[in-house]
Amino acid sequence: MKLGIVGKGGVGKTTISALIAQTYAARGLRVLAVDTDSNPNLALSLGLDPAAADQVPVLPRALVVGSGDGAVTPANLLARYGVRTPSDVTLLNAMAITQAGAG
Amino acid sequence: MRSLLGAAIEEEADITLVDMEAGLEHLSRSGGTLAYADVLLMIMEPSRKSILTAARTIALARELGIPQVYGVGNKARLPDDLEFFESVAAEYAVPLAGIVPHDADVVEADRRGHILIEGKGDPVKDAVREIIDFVDRALVPAT
Repeated sequence: MKLGIVGKGGVGKTTISALIAQTYAARGLRVLAVDTDSNPNLALSLGLDPAAADQVPVLPRALVVGSGDGAVTPANLLARYGVRTPSDVTLLNAMAITQAGAG
Repeated sequence: MRSLLGAAIEEEADITLVDMEAGLEHLSRSGGTLAYADVLLMIMEPSRKSILTAARTIALARELGIPQVYGVGNKARLPDDLEFFESVAAEYAVPLAGIVPHDADVVEADRRGHILIEGKGDPVKDAVREIIDFVDRALVPAT
């Protein structure tokens, strides 16, 4: 199930996204949380400290819009770019998708 | 054609949350993987600007074919803001998935850059659980 969280800047999207993600994870579901902001803050809201948050790799645009070269499987993608947060939510940074000409 | 991320979302996760900080319009230019959702939650606060942003999102969500769109009233100081959100929901004919109260623990956690620890922000955590229950019920196919 894919859940999108949208709203004007500052309304609390990231805080609510993190809480929703953590609540589902606590129920034993496999939860993926995707940050699309050029200033990615979901990592902090999910419990990573600032240093760890800075280390979250950015998913290349090609893997978001394309099917890859066949060598990378979906599981590989998560293993390589996903970061497991303290509450068991897997975080992905997709900020490249919003940067024109990036990737 | 499904993207690799799209495949990962389908095969490797039960729930995928996309924090659309970039905005629905921005994401829709980059293909469906991130822009399309089964359920879209529009977070609002007690400000007309956030309502207008949500109103613009509704139209785009319909164009993109997102089947279920709900509002969430955040930072609500009750009871006035509850009335505000309910009247907005009626005005735009968008159901509310929940109301999240304004909470000093959340403000403090944000100030410090910390998450909400055990015992802090319980009214907010309860509100989030209710939102999830609403979404889960909404996803059950009508019989």
